[in-house]
Amino acid sequence: MQWYYSKNGTQLGPVSEADLLAKLASSEVLTTDLVWKDGMGNWLPAGQLRELVPLSAFPAASPLAPPSGNSPYQPPYSSPSSMASAQAIPNYLWQSIVVTILCCWPFGIPAIIYAAKVDGLKARGDIPGAMAASASAKTWCMVAAGIWLVLVVLWLVIVGSSAVFSSHSGSFPR
Amino acid sequence: MPRNRACWAALGFLLLACAAILLYQRGPSGLPWLPGCTFHYLTGLNCPGCGMTRAAYATLHGRIGEAFRLNPLGMILLPLASLGIGLEIIGWVRGKPLPFRLSVGAKGAWAIAWIVVAFWILRNLPWWPFTLLSPP
Repeated sequence: MQWYYSKNGTQLGPVSEADLLAKLASSEVLTTDLVWKDGMGNWLPAGQLRELVPLSAFPAASPLAPPSGNSPYQPPYSSPSSMASAQAIPNYLWQSIVVTILCCWPFGIPAIIYAAKVDGLKARGDIPGAMAASASAKTWCMVAAGIWLVLVVLWLVIVGSSAVFSSHSGSFPR
Repeated sequence: MPRNRACWAALGFLLLACAAILLYQRGPSGLPWLPGCTFHYLTGLNCPGCGMTRAAYATLHGRIGEAFRLNPLGMILLPLASLGIGLEIIGWVRGKPLPFRLSVGAKGAWAIAWIVVAFWILRNLPWWPFTLLSPP
């Protein structure tokens, strides 16, 4: 059985299972390093594989560090820790809806569209794309809220300086 | 729990409560310093949020039907959004996101985006039944 393993984003191997066990025992390969052999769907941290690391042997197998760099081998890995961080990407959907409806500005619509993209990209495993969409949604929310705030302040200045406006404002839809 | 986050959340809640009380007591026309919808002012068209202040006023006085007549989409989406944001704020205040959040999934998010745009267009059409979507 030939194993491949990943150190600092570099793909190494193949090595026999006995060699890999020896590397694990000597800490040349850590339980957080990703390993793969033919037949596995994903690269997994060595500490998660019972055949390599019995639960009793390495009690400190978790927490798993996120892998660094891209793996040159197929299939692409997705370690549990990167999935966990993907869960934490905010989509700002509800914030976008609030600024669209309350701030009443066309800037809320792009915010909603970027917010809608976040979960789809995340589901497809495009974590950088999801994070970029999340950042764009946040920016559009801030722009919409910021412009609304500026308008409110401007309006207060106008109303404060002229009583004429206040008598007409009641007819505006709000 | 980071203390200043709790303070910010409390301050925001307090401001919101003050706004609600002012609106409850004085009504939309009793707040002349509140700017109306700039989009409506410039174009004469309704935006997706037009009628929402009056709808909030009607809701505060228990007139839910009238509120839905003024802005049906806002009356559905805003409570949902408030719940979603509220859950996120709780997670933010305690420094650790809650294990669950109000999520509609990728398809649901796209559906909401299209519904908002469609609502914006439809409520500006001058024929029945679309006129029902625009505030009287």
